[in-house]
Amino acid sequence: MRDVAIIGAGMIPFGRRDEDTLMDMLAYASLKALDDAGLGDKSVDAVYVGNMGAGMLQHQSAIASSLVDRLNLLPAAAETVENGPASGGSAVKNGLLAVASGYYDYVLVVGGEKMREVTGWRATDFVATMTHPQAEYPYGITLPGMAGMFTRLYMEKYGVTREHLLAISLKNQEMGTLNPYAHVEMALDRDGIFDSPHAIVNNPVSADPLHLYDLCPVSDGAAAIILCPLEMAKKLTKPPVLIAGFGQATDTQTLQERDDPTDLKAVTLAAQKAFEMAKLKPGDIHVAELHDAFTILEIAESEHVGFFKKGEGGKAATAGKTRLGGQIPINLSGGLKARGHPVGATGVAQVVDIVYQLRHELPKNRQVQKAENGLTVNFGGFGNNVLAFVLRRVQL
Amino acid sequence: MKKEIAITAYKCKKCGKLHYPYHDRCLACKSREFEQIKPQGNAKLLTYTAIFNLPWGFDQRFLLIGVAEFENKIKAMGQIKADSVDQLKVGMKVKPSWEPIRVQYGEDVYGLKFEPIP
Ligand SMILES: [Zn+2]
Repeated sequence: MRDVAIIGAGMIPFGRRDEDTLMDMLAYASLKALDDAGLGDKSVDAVYVGNMGAGMLQHQSAIASSLVDRLNLLPAAAETVENGPASGGSAVKNGLLAVASGYYDYVLVVGGEKMREVTGWRATDFVATMTHPQAEYPYGITLPGMAGMFTRLYMEKYGVTREHLLAISLKNQEMGTLNPYAHVEMALDRDGIFDSPHAIVNNPVSADPLHLYDLCPVSDGAAAIILCPLEMAKKLTKPPVLIAGFGQATDTQTLQERDDPTDLKAVTLAAQKAFEMAKLKPGDIHVAELHDAFTILEIAESEHVGFFKKGEGGKAATAGKTRLGGQIPINLSGGLKARGHPVGATGVAQVVDIVYQLRHELPKNRQVQKAENGLTVNFGGFGNNVLAFVLRRVQL
Repeated sequence: MKKEIAITAYKCKKCGKLHYPYHDRCLACKSREFEQIKPQGNAKLLTYTAIFNLPWGFDQRFLLIGVAEFENKIKAMGQIKADSVDQLKVGMKVKPSWEPIRVQYGEDVYGLKFEPIP
């Protein structure tokens, strides 16, 4: 197996992008990554596109073939990778394995989703199609609904409170205002969404006990990276970032069939495998992008990957341990909560944000000083398919 | 007329593990032989939520959904017949029934409903 480096990264601002088609977004993000890698008009050997919903939302299939045509990356190998909200992470994994194996040298990985093309009603149904087709979907369950049921159990078992969840909303939305690529551009006011009598109007219950601002927005967006063998990356001008570790694990589709439905086993296993491969421990990580589609998930994942003991994640967040300058800064991009969650883009965007961190090129108000190791967690289904990557700045 | 609860759970013939929904191999021992089991008696509410942003196909204001465990240990998701989450509590007894849960292509789709037992 060869060491694999990320030599280019790029993304387009997430949000509502009425003027762009899905193919436009995938193309723009890809060009930014190609330019960032300094590949200019060169081609790549293979392209992996992470996307969940082109078939359902755009009535379009085989988008990877369409993308290589638009970008004239012909005759590169190309395919789309669909793995629910972990499609982006799965596309990165496919690129990683292809380069590590020695079969391809230069690979483009791009993830994108255009969700605002349809009404919120349709988008909610689209995301719900990943639930069990007989035992869950017909009842009208949604992903926020799954998260609501999970939150109720997590609160009962570990004493997580709305105050803990609020700390995640406030932190991530504040960081989003500092990130030019984030969907959400407005910081939240604690009084307006929590303390004051009209908080229930501004921040109504969305999937009890979760409120509106516990949920990520519905977004359009795309992000891309370029991979090549580390050996070939050493001639480049920007510091390459090594994919030092990778792990993936699955779990039962329904929560009720897990021995302990609050135990996100796939998160623990994916992170353990990634740490093992990187020969690092959770304490060695300087910055992390976790999959906070719902505020409870940032807390639960920060415990399951090993940053905090079970039941300590919420307290750590309210104590500021996950802010810039804290013990382990989490989601300095704003996370899914504020950067947005165009499902197929997310797993790639998380990697892009950690690449920026490890190349030390972010403004002071978001940059972790001297960051060398980063972690991403991309959470598919309701934790039934999870990918984790450990990235490392390479000292040349 | 009351409809029978049309849910089938699967008990592994080798190790006894109970499954719902269906798996082709046992989640505990990978055996492929199952005995079909019907849910029995009332159920206990394990968790629940009220969903206010409903998916396409549902046009009510909100929906109460939960997971409950039957007396013979089968666990399943269902809609809850109550006015608000204030009437619900984890661990409470609920009475199951098989009723229309949504309309698709102009036809009623049947599924589990749970009603709190006072
Ligand atoms: Zn068995």
